Amino acid sequence: MFTKNKKMDRILTLYLPLFMMLSFTLFPIYWTINTALKPEGDIVKRPLQYLPANPTVENFVYSWTNIGFATFFKNSLIVGISTVIVVLICSTLSGYALARYQFKGKRSFLLMLLCTQFIPRSMMIIPLFIIFKNLGLISSPLALIITYTAIEIPFTTILMSGFISNVPKELEEAAMIDGCTKLQSLRHVVFPLLLPGIVATGVFTFIYTWNEFLIALMLTNQQSKFTLPVGLSSMLGEFNVNYGALAAGSVIALIPAVILFAYAQKHLVNGMGGAVKG
Amino acid sequence: MSYPQSATDTVVKSKKAVNKNKKKIKSEKVIPYLFILPSFLIILGFLFYPIATVFYYSVQHYDVSAPYYNGFAGLENFVNIFTQDKMFVPSLINSVKWVVAEVGLQLTFGMILALLLNQTFKFRGFVRAVAFIPWAISGVLASVMWSMMFNEHMGVINDMLMKVGLIDEPMAFLASTSTAFGAVVIAELWRGIPFFAITLLAALQSIPNELYEAANVDGANRWKSFIYVTLPQLKNTIVLTTLLRVVWEFNNVDLIFNLTGGGPAHSTTTLTMYIADLAVHGSNFGYGSALTVISFGILLIFAVLYLKLSRYEKE
Amino acid sequence: MFKRKWSTSALAMTMAASLALVGCGGSEETSSNTKEKAAPKSDEPVTITFWDENAGPERTPLWEEVIKQFEEKNPNIDVEYVGIPNKSAKSKYDAAIAADDLPDVGSVQTTWLPEFSIREALLPLDEYFEKSDINGKINPSAIEFNKKITQDNKLYGIPYAQNLDTIWIRTDWFEEAGVEEPDTFDEFFTAIEKMTDKANNRYGYTIRGGAGGSFQLQRLMFAYSGLDYFNEDGKPNINAPEHVEFVEKYLSYYEDYTPKSDITNGYKEMIAGFDTGVVAMVHHNVGSYGEHKKSLPEGSFKTIPLPKTADGKYVAEGGNAVNVAVFKSAENPDAAWKFVEFINSAEAQSTWNESTGQIPTNSDVLSDEWVQNAQHIKVAFEVYENPETKLYEPPFYLPDYRSILDSIVDPGIQSVMSGKMTTQEFLDEWAKAIEDSKAKYDETFKK
Repeated sequence: MFTKNKKMDRILTLYLPLFMMLSFTLFPIYWTINTALKPEGDIVKRPLQYLPANPTVENFVYSWTNIGFATFFKNSLIVGISTVIVVLICSTLSGYALARYQFKGKRSFLLMLLCTQFIPRSMMIIPLFIIFKNLGLISSPLALIITYTAIEIPFTTILMSGFISNVPKELEEAAMIDGCTKLQSLRHVVFPLLLPGIVATGVFTFIYTWNEFLIALMLTNQQSKFTLPVGLSSMLGEFNVNYGALAAGSVIALIPAVILFAYAQKHLVNGMGGAVKG
Repeated sequence: MSYPQSATDTVVKSKKAVNKNKKKIKSEKVIPYLFILPSFLIILGFLFYPIATVFYYSVQHYDVSAPYYNGFAGLENFVNIFTQDKMFVPSLINSVKWVVAEVGLQLTFGMILALLLNQTFKFRGFVRAVAFIPWAISGVLASVMWSMMFNEHMGVINDMLMKVGLIDEPMAFLASTSTAFGAVVIAELWRGIPFFAITLLAALQSIPNELYEAANVDGANRWKSFIYVTLPQLKNTIVLTTLLRVVWEFNNVDLIFNLTGGGPAHSTTTLTMYIADLAVHGSNFGYGSALTVISFGILLIFAVLYLKLSRYEKE
Repeated sequence: MFKRKWSTSALAMTMAASLALVGCGGSEETSSNTKEKAAPKSDEPVTITFWDENAGPERTPLWEEVIKQFEEKNPNIDVEYVGIPNKSAKSKYDAAIAADDLPDVGSVQTTWLPEFSIREALLPLDEYFEKSDINGKINPSAIEFNKKITQDNKLYGIPYAQNLDTIWIRTDWFEEAGVEEPDTFDEFFTAIEKMTDKANNRYGYTIRGGAGGSFQLQRLMFAYSGLDYFNEDGKPNINAPEHVEFVEKYLSYYEDYTPKSDITNGYKEMIAGFDTGVVAMVHHNVGSYGEHKKSLPEGSFKTIPLPKTADGKYVAEGGNAVNVAVFKSAENPDAAWKFVEFINSAEAQSTWNESTGQIPTNSDVLSDEWVQNAQHIKVAFEVYENPETKLYEPPFYLPDYRSILDSIVDPGIQSVMSGKMTTQEFLDEWAKAIEDSKAKYDETFKK
């Protein structure tokens, strides 16, 4: 009697709602994979095939080879990883300043961070284009790395500062009494404790750069320098959409993000926890 | 023998320490500025100019496709927005609807998902990773997925609804004024739940178990302990994440842009979509800038009020 | 004090130095430029960039094919293709023009020509075109049209593909019902009535009430009236009595003879109505041939021109074309022109248009077998080559032309269909918007 009740309870409060939430989350992904595995004619054929009747990998082969996907993939990786590194350096430093110091202009700095988030990106395109044209950086991954860094710093700084303030200050002071310099104490004591937060910030930044479309399209004038979202969108014709190739391309683009998530989910949860608590 | 020596030692040491402290205080003052310098410079160098241009162009006639009209406008753009623009108020209303629907639903479902994922069960790590996937999906991909599924002729949503018998004939969800808004809300909701789930889950984990135990002793049921223990503990998290999310969703157009382009009949045109449309299709940056300044003001006032009213970081 | 002085002078020095640098660089560049221009036939390798304004799974490989052919013939010229998704193309060009960072050659819609030329982004091609082999082969009315719409009446783009609004009809249904293909608007309306069989869920026609409906309504209105866009007084003819009469009748067919869902019909829904066998006729353009072919058996459908005016003329909207243009900043305009010429050669146009289902502008292509076998292309050729055909010119040059159609006309059509507005009110509002915009424009350019 008791165990039966408990089982019922488990089903009602855990398994059933979890199943419902996951079906909502996973259905579009299942459908994309399903579409990617169908030959072109089958995609629009009625009745709809909930499992591909004639599964094929031709869409994957097509989008990987014909559309220049491999290049886009590489470009996205370069931009993504570089941005993550720069963002982490900048936001750890500024986050540390916000968490540990009271200084003049702190509020203004915070306000400045917040205000950068209030302007739609579409309004910033032309000025950005002009800046990078004058720097001779149009089509260079540097333009994207710099822009993404600037856009990501506000959020990641707040994230990092929240996380840093959760590291007990006493630890740091203890390290300094032991004869560590400030930087040493940062490296040997604070940094290891910060690792989850750094992972969370890095993942957040990477996902943003991996998916950003508008700025990447506008600041790149060379096909060979396009990032993944821009390359993908060129598979959307005006009247004619190659759904199979598009779905296959989407699945390929999804893989790094999923791997990253699987790997980082633990840190992600802990890291975000630190940040938003503060 | 040793006693006086050690005494002088201490004196010397403390003298040194005072000197060091003075130095330290001086350098301590500089350090925070040094630390924020890189971030500050990057933002100043690459975001300040674009943001400043928005304010500058808001008092200019600036249309890249009609440069011959360009020139100082004074407050004309603003006057036009408030007196003549038939799109302004409806799009602002759509924005409010959009933000309330998105943030409200994302918070609710994100909370449910977080509470579920906080329980212990087999393969929890795997399930968590899977549940977070939509967050990692770009606007381009998400729009493609959803437009395929919403499609009237090949769309799986129509197919399923018809199989279940909820509708008799396929519907063009994204092309009808009565369903387009809801359809886009669902697509964006799908992508937005994980953000709340992750942050709330993280915060849930830091609630001390003793609090629940105490509540149990007092005879609180699950619902009561959620209301009296969980929610208050999550307050700061909820306040900060909803604030960020409100700002983001307000400015978020990629799904709307790709799925409906603001249509049909402007039923999905939010203020930011309207601005994007002016900037992208109309190329009327002066007018768009004036609208942006207004939305900037709205968000700023909202952010300040929200932080004040919610008594963020105050118990 | 001293500090400030020092920093000012340092600043001045750096500025002077950088100015000198810029100056040197500039002069060097110009000299090398003239060199290249003086010796166009040098075999020095040249790279030109080409922007495709409508990249997609269908067109991108085609362009790559055309470029490959071109590079084989011109081994010293390297063409770099950049595919831009259609939705973002205009804003990409806008930003590029604003920052003066443009490709050498670009695919450009006719409606953009007036604007881009006023913004001084394009190179006039008149001289090149006059001397070229393709002169006389490219549809003269399209060339003339491109000149007419710009401020200085110069040729800024060579049309390489055209499109034409037509009516797609279900020939099998028409035969079954013994109804003739409509040739005039009276016959068109009668056919709608006769082909409607609501008991069998069949409608005579489908109206595009949703996005893009404005363009189609405008083209039908002017096809019906045969009027110019503006009357002699420079006022738009939008609300001329003929147009009021037509729109009133046309939209009154909604629900009685067309599906209820028409009010929100976009392109895809409208075409789907035809392709799934719900409607007998649909107004679109020759470009949707591929879609119909996918779903309907061969021989069960064909396209016919828009009905003739009362005095028996075909009317088409000018500027329904895509062009190749050379940008002013092109470092090597001669090489750029070579590519433009090649795109417009019979060979390249034939390959490109056959696959995209558009109408070639090079008359040599007409004799190609595929054109002879493509009923819809032949119809379009008939209309465009007919000397009686009237081409009217919408004011593409008005900066808010497009936004008037999107934000006033599209919702206006829906308001009339749902009975919230009368036809007269709707057309008056539309006319006034165009009139105001034109007055402002004229004022600027009369100075």
